Amino acid sequence: VNQSANNHLDEMTLLLYAERQLDRERAHEVSVHTQTCEKCLNLLRVLDRESRLLTRSLLEQDEPLPARIAEFHAQVKRSMQWIWGVVFGMALLGAYIGYAGFVEPWEQQFEQAGFGGTNLVSLLVFQGAFWKGWQSMFTLVEFVGSISFAIFGLFLLRKYFKRGTALAVMFASMGLLLLAPARTAAFQVNIDTQIDGEKSLEVKKDQVLKQDLYFFGPQLRVDGTVDGDVYSFAQRTEISGHVTGDVICFTRSAHITGQVDGNVRVMANNITISGTVERNVTTMDDDVNVDSSAKIGHNLTAMGQLLTLDGKVGRDVLTMFDEANISGDIGGNLKAKGKTLTISSGAQIDGTSKFEGEKPASVASSAKLASPIEFTQEQRHESRTSHGVGYYIWRVVWAGAWILFGLVLISLMPRFAAETIESAERYGASLGLGVLVFFGASIAALIACITIVGLLVGISTFFLWIVSLFSSYVVAGAVVGRWILGKASELWPTVGRMALGVILVVIVTGIPHVGGWVRFGIWIWGMGAIALALYRRIQPVIAPHVPSLPSGTIGTPIQPTPSAA
Amino acid sequence: MEPLKPGQISVPGKTEPSDLIAQARAGDTQAWGDLYREYAPAIFRFCRRALPSKEDAEDATMEIFLKLRDKLVQYDPSRSFSAWLYKVAANHCWDLLRRRKARHDKDMEDVTEIPLEAPEPNQLERLIEERTSEEVRKALDKLGARARMALVMRYYSDMSYDEIADALGVRRPFVGVVLLRARHELRQALGENTVLAAGGTR
Repeated sequence: VNQSANNHLDEMTLLLYAERQLDRERAHEVSVHTQTCEKCLNLLRVLDRESRLLTRSLLEQDEPLPARIAEFHAQVKRSMQWIWGVVFGMALLGAYIGYAGFVEPWEQQFEQAGFGGTNLVSLLVFQGAFWKGWQSMFTLVEFVGSISFAIFGLFLLRKYFKRGTALAVMFASMGLLLLAPARTAAFQVNIDTQIDGEKSLEVKKDQVLKQDLYFFGPQLRVDGTVDGDVYSFAQRTEISGHVTGDVICFTRSAHITGQVDGNVRVMANNITISGTVERNVTTMDDDVNVDSSAKIGHNLTAMGQLLTLDGKVGRDVLTMFDEANISGDIGGNLKAKGKTLTISSGAQIDGTSKFEGEKPASVASSAKLASPIEFTQEQRHESRTSHGVGYYIWRVVWAGAWILFGLVLISLMPRFAAETIESAERYGASLGLGVLVFFGASIAALIACITIVGLLVGISTFFLWIVSLFSSYVVAGAVVGRWILGKASELWPTVGRMALGVILVVIVTGIPHVGGWVRFGIWIWGMGAIALALYRRIQPVIAPHVPSLPSGTIGTPIQPTPSAA
Repeated sequence: MEPLKPGQISVPGKTEPSDLIAQARAGDTQAWGDLYREYAPAIFRFCRRALPSKEDAEDATMEIFLKLRDKLVQYDPSRSFSAWLYKVAANHCWDLLRRRKARHDKDMEDVTEIPLEAPEPNQLERLIEERTSEEVRKALDKLGARARMALVMRYYSDMSYDEIADALGVRRPFVGVVLLRARHELRQALGENTVLAAGGTR
């Protein structure tokens, strides 16, 4: 125990003694000393009183709990539920992308190599739930954008749903789709037959089903009557009987040879209609065949690659096809967009005809057209580069996707998000680092991929590069939002600022000529900010300066002195 | 009502809600809500004392509880939940201050060079008697980040020297130095009395 020249204990020793931090022997020495030294005893008492004053002052409840803190719990629960929902949805999407991109090609190679058969996973999960034709309708990126936008829309409308209902409905539906086994499972009906050796559902010719029919499975055949709607998620759907309601199909191939009193909405690889549809047909397919015997009462709206229209359409036809061949009757107007349009000799169009394509439509001389075809030369990649409606729709979709992406990022990594935004405000550093990362990382990843050993590293780096490229919009949006509305540290104000910023960024990047450069600048800036934040984070934290312990200050045994005190 | 003791979060005499903690650990959102209601006020006050502004304290409280949701599985039920909670809170607050470089405001680089002299007991006693809790809290706001943090950890949360050393990233023997230095800073802020702050008779 340290003592000063005049044999008093120092304050440090007394404090440690008061706080019971001295070992038994030293504590005993202090105790002995303070029994005889009034000055040290007084100081010890005062130190103890000071401790109690400190404790009392600190513990005193001088202000009420802020409402924000009191209400926070509910917010956390809600927000986290939502975030996890989004994450789950994205994971689901990721699983599908992973399957379509990696598992399925391998599976096909195995099948070609003689290891045929469908594995359990794809049988139970993917074939029942996901349909290959999706890829022909949207590019993968657009698909992701659409889903994200839909989720974001749901999020915005969440107030109108009961708590959790929206999520429950959405994910229960997705879960149902996922879990839908490839084997036949029809609700409400107990018809379970073999068609071509597969367990499938058949509504037989003499049967009448007086309710809606929902079907998940390889094959659905309706030869009888369904007095209601038909919802089919099957590889093959055949309607040769009579459906009094609508037919909604997500299927690989659909054949409608019977009669449908309502509408037909189909997403398929190919659809053939040779029967009668009393109302509208809306379809997205690779191939659409409307046979000569087919009758569509109202409109035909179709998108895909090849359209063959030999039958009769009561009203308008709106198509977006690479190749469209029309030899049937159209009671209303024709509006077509695509590469080629051929109107054959038997065709009759009672309304106006408009075509936008690469070259003028080929029209047979004997075709009966109420008016000449109004042709518009298609501008290459119009939907993306010019300001058509599709362009704006996709801009909105992308803005929604970025906002959602940013919401997830900020919610899951609030501190890192804040650090990244701070880094982005160091404009010089982030732009400089951004140039390095933008070019350097991509080139490094490419080089790594060339070598077999570095393939994994290269792909991972490239993946991270892509992710940061996408994130750059969020970063830029967050900073722009802060410029306008000021700084915020809470989650939702931060997200709100980010959303506003992203919308502005998307608008600015859409300006012709300038937008491309702005977009490039945002990539550089955002990537640089992310890299800077990462760099600062992985940089070893320098320990606060710690003074060296004065030798012999604490813990030195007290030297008994008769003159103490 | 009996005043709370340092480090005590719940009502005195009430044991820690181990069932609630176990349920919250298992993912029960209702239990999590109850746990939040039970402990949020104390953690908010901890942050309020340790951080420079009320807004910072509110943000930090929410961040701490967000963090706790993930960390709850790491909690060892055989140990005190309050102590563990304060440790998480202290680490979070100090991390926050450190990242803001607040540690540079009033550091202790001169501790070894300028030894602290003991105050005159009578003068110190007078100062303590004259000052109210509110004045102490106001004075606390004038301290450097590390000094304030150390005092709050010790005299609000009743954290041990080992825990304080761990949270502040200093070696255990220096915790006493940090605390003593903090007290001197506080006395200075309280009294602006150079005699008291710099030391009394020797």
